[in-house]
Amino acid sequence: MISHPATDSIPAPRGPTLPAPSPEPPRHLPATLAEAAAVLRETAARREPLAFQGGGTDLGLGAPGAPCAVLETTRLARVVEYAPSDQVVVAEAGLRLADLQRLLAREGQRLALDPPLPERATLGGILSAGAFGPLRTRYGAPRDLVLGIAVVRADGAVVRGGGKVVKNVAGFDLPRLFSGALGTLGLVAELCFRVHPLPETSATVLLRGLDAAGAWRVTRSLRDAQLEPAAVAALREAGPFELGIRFEGFEAGVSAQARRALELAGSGAATLLEPAPAAAFWERHDTLRRAGALRLKLTSLPASLGQVDDGPLTALRRALADGVTVWYPALGLGFAGGEPLDGAAAAVARARAELAKLGGALTVCAAPPFLRAGLDPWGPPPPALTVMRRLKDRLDPDRRLAPGRFVGGL
Amino acid sequence: MTRRDPAALGFADLVAGVVGSSNCIRDPAALTTYACDGLTNSRVSPALVALPGSTAEVAEVVRLASLAGIPIVPRGSGTGLSGGARPVPGCLVLGLSRMRRILEVDLENGRMRVEPGVINLEVSERVGPSGWYYAPDPSSQSVCTIGGNVAENSGGAHCLKYGFTTHHVLGATLVLDGGEVVELGGPALDAPGYDLLAALVGSEGLLGVVTEVWLRLLRKPEATRTFLAVFPSTDEAGAAVSGIIAAGILPAAIEMMDRLAIAAAKAATGLDWPDTGALLLMDVDGPAAEAEHTAARAVAIAQAAGASEVRRPRDDAERLLMWKGRKSAFAAVGRISPNYLVEDGVIPRSEISRVLREVAALAAAQGLRVANVFHAGDGNLHPLVLYDASVPGELARAEHLGGEILRLCIRSGGSITGEHGVGAEKAAYMALQFGEEDLATMAAVRCAFDPLARFNPGKVFPTPRLCGDRPGPYHPHPAEAAGLIERV
Repeated sequence: MISHPATDSIPAPRGPTLPAPSPEPPRHLPATLAEAAAVLRETAARREPLAFQGGGTDLGLGAPGAPCAVLETTRLARVVEYAPSDQVVVAEAGLRLADLQRLLAREGQRLALDPPLPERATLGGILSAGAFGPLRTRYGAPRDLVLGIAVVRADGAVVRGGGKVVKNVAGFDLPRLFSGALGTLGLVAELCFRVHPLPETSATVLLRGLDAAGAWRVTRSLRDAQLEPAAVAALREAGPFELGIRFEGFEAGVSAQARRALELAGSGAATLLEPAPAAAFWERHDTLRRAGALRLKLTSLPASLGQVDDGPLTALRRALADGVTVWYPALGLGFAGGEPLDGAAAAVARARAELAKLGGALTVCAAPPFLRAGLDPWGPPPPALTVMRRLKDRLDPDRRLAPGRFVGGL
Repeated sequence: MTRRDPAALGFADLVAGVVGSSNCIRDPAALTTYACDGLTNSRVSPALVALPGSTAEVAEVVRLASLAGIPIVPRGSGTGLSGGARPVPGCLVLGLSRMRRILEVDLENGRMRVEPGVINLEVSERVGPSGWYYAPDPSSQSVCTIGGNVAENSGGAHCLKYGFTTHHVLGATLVLDGGEVVELGGPALDAPGYDLLAALVGSEGLLGVVTEVWLRLLRKPEATRTFLAVFPSTDEAGAAVSGIIAAGILPAAIEMMDRLAIAAAKAATGLDWPDTGALLLMDVDGPAAEAEHTAARAVAIAQAAGASEVRRPRDDAERLLMWKGRKSAFAAVGRISPNYLVEDGVIPRSEISRVLREVAALAAAQGLRVANVFHAGDGNLHPLVLYDASVPGELARAEHLGGEILRLCIRSGGSITGEHGVGAEKAAYMALQFGEEDLATMAAVRCAFDPLARFNPGKVFPTPRLCGDRPGPYHPHPAEAAGLIERV
């Protein structure tokens, strides 16, 4: 979750090669919360910049800051508490998502988050990067499932927010506030999540040959038919969009909803996938989410998918070789990726301006180093930047946590 | 306190110039209306009440108050149960009840823009004919405002499946101290930057004044299946709740009432519910086939757990009547006791039976009765401590018992409030649930929004804090430094 060029596993750039790396800054690998707090305290005393890293799956997010010392959370990987009957789990930040899921599955449960690379991605990184996958359609983003956090503040104090119960409004919502903050407000060291029962069964309906407006129309028709899909994702490579609709739950409800979705799609246009092709579709989704050296996240209002495709997505496709799109039509956001061609930076700027007119935004998730330095990762400063600056100044007065990586240079 | 010095009088004239004389209340008798919210045991009259009609008027009144150094207490309908809208001496109450326009309905994108004074239920009523609704449904939904819901992060019976206000607010317009207007969140999800909207929802009016809100709307579920299960005691009912959840069922709502609450609801509504130890009222909803299946399974689990009878409503009218019995339970307790206190503690769901027994023991020790009506699915208790204010010392004992119950919730790994907020009433208990540094971090968030603590002073935080004091350097306990203990 931090930027660190020496370990950034971005594929070889097409542009000029990087200068030889300078001597590597220190890397801290605390094994306990107390050790992590000690790292923060000691670096605070020296006013030394420090960034945090989990599984390193979202290192490309945000501005590439100057190389600085890194605290890796990978040894902070204990499950602190798991109460299946209360459907909550408390774990340290460095625990890999897949490891947690294996533990929960033994009790017939899961954390309803499915971002890419679960074998690498850590809980702390997922929250800090706001990482998500297709299940967000039904269950929300990490910030919607986190119940509590323990944070090590820039000064080394260990503080807690939220709690271990599903319902709790005591005090300000620190767990959500730290979501997506990329470690610039403090180290998320421990997390409590609400977990859900594993579904008894699932079924995926696939529609091929759709344009963007068609993908939106089908998504809207599911909503109007009062269906409750767990995931809806539109994939596009060279040809038109394919729309995957996954239902999960008890057999009776899943099969009835899948039948209804087939009816809504019209005869011939849709197929109910067998388990193996269904798994293959969602695996391909995961692959496309990570495809390309340049990856962008685009947001808009759900109903403007047609306009997003006509404008920003088309402009980006022209500037990308092997361009792919993954879109979540029920959420109104998605990702575009590919190998940047000449003019990619200009296309990004243009797409961003067009999205802004539609009420959305564009952020850079990953870019090859030669391009990244010249790309604005976040776009224009948000309207409440002054409050964000004051928040940063309160929690990290020396501005030493992942300096410059976040929105507005925070 | 209604002392008005000449300077204050000048301020009132300025405010009246912004909102109009008829929307500026200075008459001491009229001011007493605003002396408390739904928690009536303590009252403080404000110096002045302003009822602005627009974001521009709010911003101008806030600017004037900032210049004059006058504290501001925002207020919706005043239905809060934690004293969150209780004035402080000399303050300006900013009542948002006139700002009750629905500004924009965008069903294509499932959202609606409203002013803060819009009543919760009006949102669902407006879009109900089109098949949509707004999910958070606090029991006070026919009178409470969206602005108040945002301040308190209100829940309701159906938040087990659908979440709280924070899951249903997409953006907000906020007036900061000094009168600056900022937009938080955005039309699209995931607006770049810190999630300030998340800090705002549930901040109990301490960060600023919300003047517009984008709400997320949902399609109504295709089917809702409701049933009422009758149990000999809360032990069996609690076991049924655990069994239903363990079976992988996520009901829209599971509400529990104990013997005393049932008696009160019957007295108030005339429902023909049996006199029994516990009732569970449950909704499952979703696509019809899913709802039928899960309802049948849940009923079977309830029966296996010891339900002596399961009733299903014959029609929608009967279903609504069952829910009316539940939602009116707080007020109904007035039928069986001259006075009562409402608590709002949360415990892990699996601890319900044990905690209820402990609550009963604590009540017996004080010689008081406690009625329980609560959201069993998420462990959000609502113990109603019954007392008679005319009996000397009984209020004090009731308050003591309420505090004991909150301590019990904290000891059980829970929280002092699930949906009513901390407000003025539970601020002291924050120091039991959170450590000093935890509170200092929350205070830092407040300072980022409102460095002079202009808004709603005296709420949430157990001790007044000044934003000039940055959290000092952290000094670990020697045992912590030695790795013997952890601050967890």
